Amino acid sequence: MRKSADLKPNDISKPVDQLIQVDSLKTLPGPYSKDGMEPDFTEPKEAWKSKYCTSLDGFVGIDTLVRPSSPEEEDEFVRKFISGLEKVFADSNNNFLQPVQLTMDYCAKCNTCSEACHVFEATNHNELYRPIYRSEVLRKIYKKHFTTSGKLLGSVVGADIDVNWESIARLGELAYRCNLCRRCAQTCPLGLDNALMAREIRKIFSQEMGIAPTPLHTKGSMLQLQTGSSTGINKAALLDMLEFIEEDIEEKTGRKIKIPMDKKGADILLTHNAGEFMAWPENPAAFAILFEEAGLDWTLSSSMIGYDNVNYGLWYDDSQAKKVALQQFQAAKELGVRRIIIGECGHAHKAAAVSADRMTSGDNKVPVESFLPLLWELVETKRLKFDPEKNNFPVTLHDPCNFVRQMGIVQPQRNILKAICPQFREMTPHGVNNYCCGGGSGFAIMQSQNFAEFRNKVSARKKFEQIISAFGDEFENPDIIKYVCAPCSNCKGTIRDMFEFYEATAKFNVHYGGLVELMVNALVSQKEPFLTFEEDEF
Amino acid sequence: MVLSIYVILSVLCFIGFSSYKAWKYATMPMHSRLDLYPVPKEAGRAEYGGSYYEETEWWAKPRKVSHLGEIKDMLMEMLFIKKLFQNQRKLWWPSYSFHLGIYFLFAWTILLVISVAWPATFIVYLTSFVGIVGFILAFVGNVVLLMHRVFEQDLKKYTTPQEYFNLILILAVLVTGIYAWSGSMISGQAGQTVGQLISLQALEVGPALTIHLVLLGFMFFYIPLSKMNHYIGKYFTFHKVLWDNDPNLPGSKVEQDLQEAAANPPKTKWSAPHMNEGRDLNA
Repeated sequence: MRKSADLKPNDISKPVDQLIQVDSLKTLPGPYSKDGMEPDFTEPKEAWKSKYCTSLDGFVGIDTLVRPSSPEEEDEFVRKFISGLEKVFADSNNNFLQPVQLTMDYCAKCNTCSEACHVFEATNHNELYRPIYRSEVLRKIYKKHFTTSGKLLGSVVGADIDVNWESIARLGELAYRCNLCRRCAQTCPLGLDNALMAREIRKIFSQEMGIAPTPLHTKGSMLQLQTGSSTGINKAALLDMLEFIEEDIEEKTGRKIKIPMDKKGADILLTHNAGEFMAWPENPAAFAILFEEAGLDWTLSSSMIGYDNVNYGLWYDDSQAKKVALQQFQAAKELGVRRIIIGECGHAHKAAAVSADRMTSGDNKVPVESFLPLLWELVETKRLKFDPEKNNFPVTLHDPCNFVRQMGIVQPQRNILKAICPQFREMTPHGVNNYCCGGGSGFAIMQSQNFAEFRNKVSARKKFEQIISAFGDEFENPDIIKYVCAPCSNCKGTIRDMFEFYEATAKFNVHYGGLVELMVNALVSQKEPFLTFEEDEF
Repeated sequence: MVLSIYVILSVLCFIGFSSYKAWKYATMPMHSRLDLYPVPKEAGRAEYGGSYYEETEWWAKPRKVSHLGEIKDMLMEMLFIKKLFQNQRKLWWPSYSFHLGIYFLFAWTILLVISVAWPATFIVYLTSFVGIVGFILAFVGNVVLLMHRVFEQDLKKYTTPQEYFNLILILAVLVTGIYAWSGSMISGQAGQTVGQLISLQALEVGPALTIHLVLLGFMFFYIPLSKMNHYIGKYFTFHKVLWDNDPNLPGSKVEQDLQEAAANPPKTKWSAPHMNEGRDLNA
């Protein structure tokens, strides 16, 4: 095993059991600066080592990346990767060709991006997680196989890397050590995008080699295309859940609400991350309460994929992303709605509004909006009336990368929180300079082997540090309820696991949830607290 | 005369190769959106990184685009290398010195041509001043950048021999330039050499200036063929990728371009089994 400081890009093909270890972590602030406040890493099991690729850093992100059983399989694996890499620079990748080529051509290797990366920072600058490390490995392979200068001059131009099963498999794993938050791209003096390169590696693995983490592909986008939702919820199950939610709304708030379903010609089709129906039903309930109280003309859809706005293809596979996005548009077209409003799911925002924007045109599309400007409009125009005193506890805001840094939706959520939460305070930094929750790009749902430890201790570390710091001295006081507003399902899932892992809720009374729950809690018309901060609220 | 033709040819190649590279990027297919905020053309919102998505029914409202904001940000990047200044001050000092030196040397070249046609005393002095400052700034910046690459492990391990060559080539041009031009810059005779050069006369130059011009010519040939042509790429990375948030609305230029692209679907197909399931989405 090499010391991380000595690690060089062409070490990726070194025949060692494990390339590096995460041997250093940034010290957390507050009570977590003391020893024993967080569980240690567990060593990868021997069985994993013989089956998966643990030879990168000991973690297994891709549970479908299994070791070959013959030299022929090994050769085929390498051949397919090289074939896929060639396709990244061909017409098969037209929709990303220009940005990929630019990043491949121009990196000055100035390392300006490094300090922007929360994974690099969390590991006290572990070389493996430097944003340009994986890009440089890919660049070397590309130069060696596909450029004249690389073929003629070899190491002189950096085409000096051995390509074998181990190096390609490690590169595949390494593509899943980046949250694709694109904070690094914000700082690049040349405007290059190392997160995009990580995604292109994931794309080669999926689109050419048929390898992707099970939660993203088989139990993610494939399941969504087969059943209508990545959660496996079908139409009948959805209708049952909504009935349950309606009953709970009545029980808890006294409101009799019939959640509109498949209402033709409605103004708004509201789409949720279907994970909300299962894990946080209070979230779709809160949307229903707000929309009904505001008198909006809205509906949900029960048609195939119309009730689940997730689009995991965004993280690893263009074709899966397109298949899902087109069906979501189709659901809206069938209902004849004027617009789609995306609920509290960050990547669904980006997938439907930005990534799908150029997937189809004209009559095949329906305008896509975020829920945030709509809710702010309801607050600003006083169509909804609030009593901020009901939310008189410390609240901070997590900015989901997908709709803040990557869509420019910054102010509406702040305006709302300032209006309804007297003790709102920002994290540092925030807005478009925010840090990822650590669960971005699929990490939130990837639980294979020991991968959750990487998320909880490494990729989510910076966010946990921000949360602790945002509450200052109040963090350690268990008598004070503290609330992290995370208006995104994947971010919430990450923060939920983070709080469990660090026992933050149990020890320090710090909670998480969405924005709409806070809004309902502060409604003048709401008699009893909507947020009770108990285990099973809904 | 051969040397004059060589230098002029190298400059023409510089322009030609650079234009070709720009054309190659400009004619690449329209890509998926990869906006990254702040986007400086977002009028009234660029300062905090906002966009039109902060409005309800944004798709039915006229867009507020600030070309001035975009130009301002572009100029800040071109003139001051703003991103590096904000995010890595340590490298900004030498990088800025180097690039500013090149800008000065570019201005010096233009002033030399002007001084041939209009050899007023103040023009000659100004030309000399600009040239001297340019050489000093570019030389110092280049040497410090090279030292960073040689002695800092974090940079060294990613630097290829070709990348050292790039810096050393420019350093060689600068060092030979300082040596060869130093006398004539002060005396103002550099203008005469430029006059001979642009009128394709035989250059009355010594061995030092000959070596300098040969290296200079080679540099002009080489830069557009290397990644040092980032003066081209940078336009596309910012304007055509990170800042391109033009929505695909009915009747828009984006929609028109997409329809044209749809008429020429890609021929190369991906191979994973799921890629061939359902409708053909390679298109």
